[in-house]
Amino acid sequence: MFFLKEETKVIAMHPSYFGPNMREYLIGRLNEEEEGRCTGDHFVICVMDMVDIGEGRVMPGIGQAEYTIRYRAIIWKPFRGETVDAIVTSVKPTGIFTLAGPLSVFIARKNIPSDIKWEPNTVPPQYTDHADQVIEKGTSLRLKILGVKPDVAAINAIGTIKEDYLGPL
Amino acid sequence: MSNFMDQNFASDEEEDDFNPVNQDDSDAEEVDSKPAKRETSADAAPDAKYGRDAHEEEDTKDVEEDEENDEEEEDEEEDDEDDEDEVRNPRKKQKRVVNPFIEDEAGVDDEEDEGDDEEDELAEYGMETHPDDLDALPQGTETDDRRHRQLDRQREIDASMDAEKQAQMLKERYGRNRAAASDSLVIPKRLLLPSVEDPSIWGGRCKPGKEKEVVYSIQQRIEQRPANSRNPMRIISAFERGNIMQGWFYCEARRQADVIEGLDAINFYYPSQKLTLVPVKEMPDLLRVQKSEELLPGGWIRIKRGKYQGDLAQIEEVETNGLNVTVRLVPRLDYGMNDDALGAPADAKRKRGAASTVRPPQRLFSETEAKKKHAKYLSSTSGLGGKSWNYLNDNYVDGFLIKDMRVQHLSAKNVNPRLEEVTMFARGGEDGTANLDLASLAETLKNSTAEDSYQPGDPVEVYRGEQQGLIGRTVSTRGDIVSLQVTEGDLAGQTIDAPVRTLRKRFREGDHVKVIGGSRYQNELGMVVQVKDDTVTLLSDMSMQEITIFSKDLRLSAEMAADGQLGIYDVHDLVQLDAATVACVIKVDRESLRVIDQNGSIRNILPTQIANKIVPRRDAVATDRNGAEIRAADTVREVYGEQRSGVIRHIHRSFLFLHNKAQAENAGISVVRTTNVVTVSARGGRATGPDLTKMNPALAMQTPGGGGAAMPPPRRGRDQLIGKTVTIRKGRFKGLVGIVRDADDNSAQVELYTSNKPVHIPRELLTPKDPVSKQPLSMGRGRGGGMGARTPFGSGGPPRDSWSGGRTPMAGGDSSRTPAWGGANSSRTPAWGGGSGSRTPAWKNDGSRTSNPYADGSRTAYGGIGNRTPAWNSGSKTPYDSGSGFDAFASGSRTPAWGGAVPNTNTGNRTPAWGGLSNSRDQRDFDDAPTPGGGYSAPTPGAYEAPTPGAPTPGDWPDSAPTPGGAFSAPTPGAHAAYDAPTPAMGGSAATPGAYGGNDGGPRYDDSPSP
Repeated sequence: MFFLKEETKVIAMHPSYFGPNMREYLIGRLNEEEEGRCTGDHFVICVMDMVDIGEGRVMPGIGQAEYTIRYRAIIWKPFRGETVDAIVTSVKPTGIFTLAGPLSVFIARKNIPSDIKWEPNTVPPQYTDHADQVIEKGTSLRLKILGVKPDVAAINAIGTIKEDYLGPL
Repeated sequence: MSNFMDQNFASDEEEDDFNPVNQDDSDAEEVDSKPAKRETSADAAPDAKYGRDAHEEEDTKDVEEDEENDEEEEDEEEDDEDDEDEVRNPRKKQKRVVNPFIEDEAGVDDEEDEGDDEEDELAEYGMETHPDDLDALPQGTETDDRRHRQLDRQREIDASMDAEKQAQMLKERYGRNRAAASDSLVIPKRLLLPSVEDPSIWGGRCKPGKEKEVVYSIQQRIEQRPANSRNPMRIISAFERGNIMQGWFYCEARRQADVIEGLDAINFYYPSQKLTLVPVKEMPDLLRVQKSEELLPGGWIRIKRGKYQGDLAQIEEVETNGLNVTVRLVPRLDYGMNDDALGAPADAKRKRGAASTVRPPQRLFSETEAKKKHAKYLSSTSGLGGKSWNYLNDNYVDGFLIKDMRVQHLSAKNVNPRLEEVTMFARGGEDGTANLDLASLAETLKNSTAEDSYQPGDPVEVYRGEQQGLIGRTVSTRGDIVSLQVTEGDLAGQTIDAPVRTLRKRFREGDHVKVIGGSRYQNELGMVVQVKDDTVTLLSDMSMQEITIFSKDLRLSAEMAADGQLGIYDVHDLVQLDAATVACVIKVDRESLRVIDQNGSIRNILPTQIANKIVPRRDAVATDRNGAEIRAADTVREVYGEQRSGVIRHIHRSFLFLHNKAQAENAGISVVRTTNVVTVSARGGRATGPDLTKMNPALAMQTPGGGGAAMPPPRRGRDQLIGKTVTIRKGRFKGLVGIVRDADDNSAQVELYTSNKPVHIPRELLTPKDPVSKQPLSMGRGRGGGMGARTPFGSGGPPRDSWSGGRTPMAGGDSSRTPAWGGANSSRTPAWGGGSGSRTPAWKNDGSRTSNPYADGSRTAYGGIGNRTPAWNSGSKTPYDSGSGFDAFASGSRTPAWGGAVPNTNTGNRTPAWGGLSNSRDQRDFDDAPTPGGGYSAPTPGAYEAPTPGAPTPGDWPDSAPTPGGAFSAPTPGAHAAYDAPTPAMGGSAATPGAYGGNDGGPRYDDSPSP
C-alpha cells in the first residue's frame, strides 16, 4: 500500500560544498540517497517535496555541516494479503521468483494451483497448465502476498497465485 | 405393532407361571394398564379374539386359573384381579423359593397376563353382548386360521427383529436389578463412590509375590462357604494391587472380625501383622486402574531390551490378549561378518555376548549379504506379497525384521520418533515420504509433547475438548497445563487453562518461523506456505526448499538473516579444509557441515575437519575476464557454461564463491573462476553517495599527494611566470622589460614597461628579473618563484642559491645542488659552507629575535611549498618530490637554512624548535607545525612571491646582515599582500623588517608572530 509519509533525514555536508548551490546539492543528495531505499519496512518510492531544510550546524572537529531535512515521500509498504502485479524473474522447480516493483516475491510450489505444473523441458522452463496459462521468465503475474519478512535493508515476501483471479495476466 | 409385541410376551407359554407374581404389582399399576388395554381391545376385534383364543389354547396346564377365568368372566375386572391376587399369592411364594428367575419374569409379564385376561374378558364380553358383531364378520371367521397365521407372522417379526434391540428389550423386561441399571445411567459417578455406609476395606500383609494366591484362596473359601451356608464367609470381596503394592492384599467386609475370621489359615497371609483399615477417601484410589498405553497397529514404540534396545519399532499387529505384539524393526545384522572363523553362531550364548559388544548399524535386511556367509541359516518363505526371508529364525519382510515381542519389552511412552528414524521405515516404499503415516506419527508425538515446546507468546489453538476452537496466546505453562489468553471470539481477553494435549500451535501462512523441535530441520528458519491441521509446510530461507513439519516443532521467529550456526561456522562462511582446499559452508546440520569446495564438489564434513575459518578480507580484489576489478559484493555473471550469476561472497585466489538467491541448491552458492566471469554491476558508489574527491576540485588536486603518487600531478597550478618582471632576450622587443600578464605553455603575454601594451612573446625569450635589483632570476620554465620561496626563509640568500639549483634548470647545472637534494645535509653542507660563513654573522647579529619571525614566516612558507609540491614536480625537481613528498622537500629546503642558522645562533627560544628540524628533520614536527598554519594551498602563492624580492639577497648576504634584512623585509610584505591567505602568516615576517629596523625588541617579535 502506498503512503505519503513525512520523514526526516540528517545529511552531513562537506565544507567544500558550502556556497550558493548548497540547497540544490542537498536536494540532489536527498533524492539520491532516499529514493529507492528500502528500510526493511517499506520502500521509498519518491521524495515529493521538502517540508523543511533546517539550518545547518557545523559539527565541531570535522567542519562538516549537518542538515536535518524534513521531507515528504511516497512510500510503499507491502502488506500480507495485498494483491500486487509482478513480473517473473525466474522459475525454478521449487517455485517462481517474481519482482513486484522493488519487492521480490517468491511463490512456492505449494502456492501454485495444482493444475499449473512445472515443465522443465521447455525452453525456457516454465510452469504451465498446458492451456492458456504459461508462466515463464518475464510473465506478468497477479499474486497475493502471503507473508513479508523484513530484513536489514531488504524485504522478502512470499506470495500465492492459488486463488481466484490470481495468476498470469 | 407394539401391541402385538406386548401380547406376544403375554401369550408365551409360561403365562401361567407368571400369574402368581401379580402380587408384586400394585393396584395403581393395574389401573394404569387398563386404559391401554381397553384401547387395544377397542382397536381390533380380531386381536381380542385372538387374545382369547390364545388364552384358551394355552391354558391347559393350569385348570384352576381357567376355572377362575370362567367364573369371573362377567365380573368387573378389578374384582377379578383381586381374586386372582388372593388366589395366587400362596402359589407364588412357593414358586419363588424354587425358581427365583422365573419369579422376576413373572413380575414383568404379569401385567401382560392381566392384559390378556382383560382382553379375553372384553372380547368375550363383546361377543356375548353383541352377537350381531359376529354376524357382521365374514362367514367362517371362527374356523379361519387367520389368527394362527397372525401368530406365525408375529413370531417371524420377533425373529427378524434386530438382535440387539431384542436383547435390550429383554434386558429391560427381565433385567435382574432394573433399578440399579437404570440408575447408573443417571447418577453421576461421584455419587457411586463409597461412603461410610458401605463395607470397609482392610489391607492385609502377605508374602510378597503371593498376593494373587491369597486372593484365590479367599475366593475359593467364599465359594466353599456361601452366604447361606451354615458358616458363611463374611468377606465380600478381595483383591490385590499387583506390583504396585507388593505384599498387600485387600478384603472388603463389614467388620474387622469378619476379615480376621475369613482369613484364618490362609496360605502366605501374615496374620501377625495388623490389618489396616483403608480410609473411605482412599478406597477409590485402590481400585483406580493405571490405563496402560494403548498399542495400535501402525503406532511407534521403542524396544526396551535386547539387541534392539532403544530402537524405534512400528507395531504390526497386537494380539488379542494384549500381551504379545508383532513389531517391525530395522534389523541390526552383521551377517556373520564378525564371527570367528569357527562359526560362532553355534553357541547362542556367546553370540549374544558378541552382539552386545559390537552393535551392527541399522540396515535393511539384505539377502545377498546373508548368503555370503550364512546361506545355511537363510531360507526363503513365500510371503503374501513382497519377499520374505527366514534368517536365523527371524522373519524378514521387505527388508524389515518382523518380530513377536512381549508388551513388557516395549515402551510406548516418550517414544518421540525422530524423523530420520521414521524415514528408515518409509524407505521400503517406492516413494519415501508419501509412504509415511503422518497421522500415526502425529498421534505418537502428541503423547510425548513436551510442555516446554510451548513458550509464552505462542499462538495456540484448542483443537479438542470442551473448549475446542479457542484461539489464543500462551501466557504461561505449568507442567502440562498451559494458560492461554484468548484472542478471538466471545471469550477474547480471558485467560483460560488447557492441557497441553488439547493444544496445537497455530500458524498463518506467511509467518516467519523457526524449527525448534527435535527434527533434522532444527534451527531452520522459514516462512509458512501451507498449514494443514497439525502439519505446517514452510519454505526454508536458506535452501528455498519446502519442509513439512509438525506445528509443535515450530515457533514464531523474530530473527532475520541467515540461520544455522554450528559452533563458529555459519552458512556462507569460507573455511579452510586443508592447505590446498577452501570451501564455503552451504548447510549446517546439528553435527556436520555441508560445504562446497573450490572445485565445486560438495561434501559433508565434521567441524573438526575444518582447519580454520577464513575471515573475509575486505580488500580482496580480483579481475574478471575483461580485466575489470571485481570485489566482494559485486554482481558477476559466468561467461561460458551455465551462465550462472550472483553476488560475490568470497574471493579466494582465482575462485569466486557466488551467491544467488534464486538458486535453491547449495544454499545459492556456486563456484566459478575469475577468468570466467564478467562484471554485471559493481557494488559502486551508489550506496555511499557522491564521491567528494571527484566533486571538489580542491580536494581532487590534493588527493594524489596523499595517495601514493599514482597519478602525476596536474602540470601546474598558476603559471609562475605570471606577474613576473621579465626582460626579453631576443627579437623585436629585445632588452625591454615588462611584466608577464598571462602565460601558456609556449608564449607569454608581456606588458612592457615602455609601451604599456601587451605583446606575445615566446616564453623561451623571456628572462625573469628581480623587479628591484633587475638581477636575472633563475626559473625553470618560469618557475622562478620556487627559488623565491626559498629566499624568504633563506632569509638567506645563500640557501636560495642552492635551492634554486635544485629547482631550476639553472640549478641543474650546478653540481653541488644535486647531492643537496639527495637529502643529506652533508651534501648540502658545502653550499652552506659557502653561504654560512658570510651569513653567520648576520644571523648572529640578529640573534634570537630574528628567529621567531622566521619561524613563523618560514613555516608558513614551507607549508605553502609543501602544498605546491606538484608545481615543483613539473620542474626538474619532480623525482625528488615524488620520492619523498613535500615533507622531504620541505625539510631539505629548510634544513640548510636553519642548519646554518642553528649552529650559528645557538640561541633563544627558537633553537629547540628549529634544532629539531635542522638535525633530524623530524617530519612530523614539521608537518605539525605548518598544518595549523592554515590551508596548505593558500599560502603557496605567498611563498612564491616572497622569494622574488629575496632574490637579490644572496648577493647581499655575504656582505652584511642588514642588507638582506632590508632587501628581504621590504618586498616580503608587499608580495604577501599582493597574494593572499598566507599573508597573515607572513605578516609575522612582514613585521620583521620593522624588527630589523628597530634592531631589537625581541620580545615584541616573539609576540607578534605567535598569534
